[in-house]
Amino acid sequence: MGDFLQLVRNENMKIYKRSRSWIMLAILIASALLISIMWLSFGGRDTSMWEVISTESMILFVLLTIFSVVIAAASVAEEFTSGTIKLLLIRPWSRNKVLLSKYISILLFGLLQAAALFLSTLLINWICFGIYSSLDETQQGLLFPGGSNPFAYMLMYYGMKLISLVVTVTLAFMISTIFRSGGLAIGLSLFLLLGVNNFVLLLGFLDYKWIDYLLFMHLDLTKYIGATSLEDGSNLWFSLGILGAYYIIFVALTWYVFNKRDVAA
Amino acid sequence: MVQPIVRLQNVSKRIGGRTIIDKLTLDLPLGEVFGFLGPNGSGKTTTIRMMVGLMSLTEGEILINGHSIAKDYEKAIRYVGAIVENPEMYKYLSGYDNLKHYARMIPGITEHRVHEVVKLVGLEGRIQDKVRTYSLGMRQRLGVAQAILHKPQLLILDEPTNGLDPAGIRELRDYLRVLSKEEGIAVFVSSHLLAEMELMCDRVAIIQNGKLIDVRTIRGTGSMTDQSRVIIEVDRPQGAVEALLAAGHSAVPEGGQAIAVETDRDGTAAINALLVSAGFKVYGIRTHVKSLEDQFLEVTGGERIG
Ligand SMILES: Nc1ncnc2c1ncn2[C@@H]1O[C@H](COP(=O)(O)OP(=O)(O)OP(=O)(O)O)[C@@H](O)[C@H]1O
Ligand SMILES: [Mg+2]
Repeated sequence: MGDFLQLVRNENMKIYKRSRSWIMLAILIASALLISIMWLSFGGRDTSMWEVISTESMILFVLLTIFSVVIAAASVAEEFTSGTIKLLLIRPWSRNKVLLSKYISILLFGLLQAAALFLSTLLINWICFGIYSSLDETQQGLLFPGGSNPFAYMLMYYGMKLISLVVTVTLAFMISTIFRSGGLAIGLSLFLLLGVNNFVLLLGFLDYKWIDYLLFMHLDLTKYIGATSLEDGSNLWFSLGILGAYYIIFVALTWYVFNKRDVAA
Repeated sequence: MVQPIVRLQNVSKRIGGRTIIDKLTLDLPLGEVFGFLGPNGSGKTTTIRMMVGLMSLTEGEILINGHSIAKDYEKAIRYVGAIVENPEMYKYLSGYDNLKHYARMIPGITEHRVHEVVKLVGLEGRIQDKVRTYSLGMRQRLGVAQAILHKPQLLILDEPTNGLDPAGIRELRDYLRVLSKEEGIAVFVSSHLLAEMELMCDRVAIIQNGKLIDVRTIRGTGSMTDQSRVIIEVDRPQGAVEALLAAGHSAVPEGGQAIAVETDRDGTAAINALLVSAGFKVYGIRTHVKSLEDQFLEVTGGERIG
């Protein structure tokens, strides 16, 4: 059989030959730049670059997730709405592999965005605030719990965020494959995602056991950096287990439906 | 006998209790242009969707070069190039990128082959433009290009002349004949344009309401060897009819100045001789060939969509 990497190349081509992907990346980097410049003009230069980086990463990861969800939702749904799915599937490749190539290209786009965000915030704030301005003790403890150095902390932060990103993107990918509607996939995924913070607070007061098994109770893993168990009883391994279980269900459903479906677009 | 390139055996498709395709059985040999003719909604596209594995079969089996499309998809589909319904392409990519996309999915397609195909369909001038800017006919050509890229043994085209200009139709027709006669591939073309099929195909299957109702050979049967309706212009039609009836031919008056006879090629010559020797003036002899359209309307009863 042929070379599977060629399929991934095709999917990448379909992402990067569209201007919207580049606009997303540009918005991401421009936003980082904007925040830094505003910080610089209102707060002055005696801030630590790490403080700005951490704030920007927190805000812009939301944007990054939205962009990834949009691309994930478009991937399968657009092939159906444009009718190109027919010509895509009548090649000597199983549907499993065609879908996998799409999935990989989506994850790569998420990864690319994360790398772009990480490097651009690092570079921008290094230039704006200088690498030597260090944090004082209290700030250090507040911003980077666990006593690690800021760089190691940020790496861990991105790692945790990327795990949640993969789960969220997989959810969007599933909805888009099952319902063949990009809009629905974007809407539902973002509703879940953006609702997370509010719901978690609200549901935290309720005392039902099943709440512990809800997906969005576990999407914020960054709270475990520095301590794998928290006082409220949550635990990194339990959260990862729940995310893993959801992930497996999402993937299984997506591939099952895509394989079974009659293509009558 | 040689194995047919594609074999449909008792293929049925039911969607939601409705039978869309009903026990279709067909064999297609290599080297033939096969027309698949039917009115709107008769099930042409559905049959093609099943042949290329886009839809599952409710019953029956489709074998391509001996490989089952359901059980051995990756092997079976290698031999197939197809356009299903409209030639939808990635609009945001150039024509060339679209072709490269499909070329990458099959090992062994060189850059050279891509250029060759582009030239063949006459898109050299516009191939680097985005497909968004293409006309329907240009997209149809690009569709043909992606279908023949990997030199398939079976080419399936769903209403390929849709959107093509007369020159384009002619080119396509000629090219399909070259493909089938010189390269020996089988071409399966669906259409509801009867005249089109008549010019293009060796054999035509007629489908109606999901049922195969007839398969006819088009080429090879010269119109004069078969029984056909011959119109003869004579000076005294009434007398000529009587003379022919007396000689054992069945003739009827046709209009004011002619008679009509059901006969074959040799019969036509004999009748002419008979009339002339009996002193009739024969002004002209025309053979009225039943067009596929007549035949088609005859078998389908001219029925509308249903
Ligand atoms: N996905 C589907 N669900 C239910 N019915 C369908 C589906 N696809 C097609 N049909 C029905 O199957 C029948 C055959 O449709 P098909 O598209 O195969 O016709 P066709 O011969 O290609 O017609 P046309 O000449 O208009 O292209 C139609 O009655 C149509 O309504
Ligand atoms: Mg059709």
